Amino acid sequence: MSAARWTVGGWVTERLGLDRLRAKYLGKPFPVHSTFFLGEIALFCFVVLVGTGMYLALFYEPSAASITGGAGPMPAAYASVVAIDATPFGALVRRMHHWAAQLMIASIVLHLLRIYFTASYRKPREVNWLLGLVLLGATIGASFAGYLLPYDQFSVTATAIGYGIARSVPWIGPALADYGFAGAFPSASSVPRFFAYHVVWAPLALSALIGLHLLILLKQKHTESAAARAACAPADAHLIEGVPLWPQQASLMAVLLLVVIAVTAALSAFLPVHPSAFYGPPQPMTPEVKPDWYLLWVYGALRLIPGGLSFRFLGATIGSEAIGAMLVPGILALAIVLVPWLDRGASSLYYAESPTASPRRLAFGLGVVTLFLALSLAGFGAELGLSVPVLWVITLAAPVLVWWGAFLLAGGRRAAAA
Amino acid sequence: MDRRRFADWSLKVGIGAAIASAIPGVLTLRGKARSAATDAVAPGDRLVFALGQNAGQPVTRGGFSQNEAVLAYPEGKSDNHENLVLVAKLDPAELKPPLDMAGTAEGVVAYSAICTHLGCTVRFSEEPMDAAPFPHIHCPCHSALFDPRRGGIVMGGPAPRPLPQLPIRLNDKGEVVVSGPFTSPVGVKA
Repeated sequence: MSAARWTVGGWVTERLGLDRLRAKYLGKPFPVHSTFFLGEIALFCFVVLVGTGMYLALFYEPSAASITGGAGPMPAAYASVVAIDATPFGALVRRMHHWAAQLMIASIVLHLLRIYFTASYRKPREVNWLLGLVLLGATIGASFAGYLLPYDQFSVTATAIGYGIARSVPWIGPALADYGFAGAFPSASSVPRFFAYHVVWAPLALSALIGLHLLILLKQKHTESAAARAACAPADAHLIEGVPLWPQQASLMAVLLLVVIAVTAALSAFLPVHPSAFYGPPQPMTPEVKPDWYLLWVYGALRLIPGGLSFRFLGATIGSEAIGAMLVPGILALAIVLVPWLDRGASSLYYAESPTASPRRLAFGLGVVTLFLALSLAGFGAELGLSVPVLWVITLAAPVLVWWGAFLLAGGRRAAAA
Repeated sequence: MDRRRFADWSLKVGIGAAIASAIPGVLTLRGKARSAATDAVAPGDRLVFALGQNAGQPVTRGGFSQNEAVLAYPEGKSDNHENLVLVAKLDPAELKPPLDMAGTAEGVVAYSAICTHLGCTVRFSEEPMDAAPFPHIHCPCHSALFDPRRGGIVMGGPAPRPLPQLPIRLNDKGEVVVSGPFTSPVGVKA
């Protein structure tokens, strides 16, 4: 028998033992469902963010030092961003960076909702539920650190509010704010600090967390629909039905990556985002600005809490700003963190439940989503002509009505009576 | 002491020393504190325009009209953002306590322009609003409302404290001069 023809691929495969790797992982099944791609979309947005960010970092100057630009003195960071916008494709790359960040957060939120409404957080997946929430928080944190970098009027206003929120934290506020923002904000030392957060610490932390999230997924396997599980022979109940990683899932992923790049490029081509030159360099005056959509609910809460509302707790005064920016978001975040432990339903190790299988879960989820939407609406109270008392009624009543309505419609009372 | 205990203690002392040596590096993260002595507003400082074509010029009584306000800094101290003040000219007959009346002159009053809610720069209203009678000061960030006639007290919205007043007087040239420290801490209070 003659030996097989020598090839480079064969040589590498033999040296690295790739056959065993292929046998173990390339056949890994991926259930096919449109909502199972949301996490991947977030991952590909991260890829676009890293790619565009690496390019932008080649030109960006992390300094608040005043330089003489075309229109008089301006911070070096702002001037460098305006200069990026003026280079061929520079504005496109910068907009893609912004759009990919918006899409990454949006797809993480939708991914979270998919996991919640199909009860895929249940034992043994609590760890990945928590890791996913940390990833959402870290992504928003990375975005917030990136807000400051163009050092325009909008950037400085948004970061100053962040500094104010940090200062309002009970007990440790002033120290926390100064440690986080490198002294009182605004100051020249905050730009290099936020550059390091945004360009070194956040991407490294996100990469590590994403890796861990995926490793745990690999170990614990996907969930699959109850129908797919029912179709299995009882002896195969521990197996997941889906397409193999290679080649079907890999080609789907490649297409999805290209779609994400195409969508961010198309959005960037037609819809300007964060026009730094329009906002202008920082001024002592504060413009009328609203935060991005994913922080509108905190903004709404801050507008709703009246200044007179405050209480003392363990020697610290919890004021309206701490209630709006810390207590309300903290309680909501805690409720979401505790979801796997609040759900008393039976563990469904291998399959994703139908969203309507549990009226209580469905109602709670829709109620919380409504609360987030109502708080975001409060951010537009002035534009919509709604007074603060009306917004309070909406914020309190709408989640309860949606919760109760969903509970009834999903047959919660029948289930309770049975 | 046997070898196992010695190794155990060496490890603990080594880890402790490594952590202790990191403390100065971590404390550096706090950033430089502002040198309050040179930067803080002091009695005798002239107020100068913060914005516009007159930036850096002294604010004078005649430099702006009644029911108008300007943003100003104490001269030479614009590096400290907390020094930003809003100087308004109001009808002297409308001024009421808890305003520090001695710190006003011919209807000119000065307040910290840093909102006590989350630190945005407040604005003097340009027109009457339904929510508050004219004149008032509002914050564009979260809609805090303050009353400039009555010591900057909170009229509505989320601000937890009144705007600190900056007592002023007019010198013989009609320039606005600081006559005392802010009546309460500036900006967001923890």
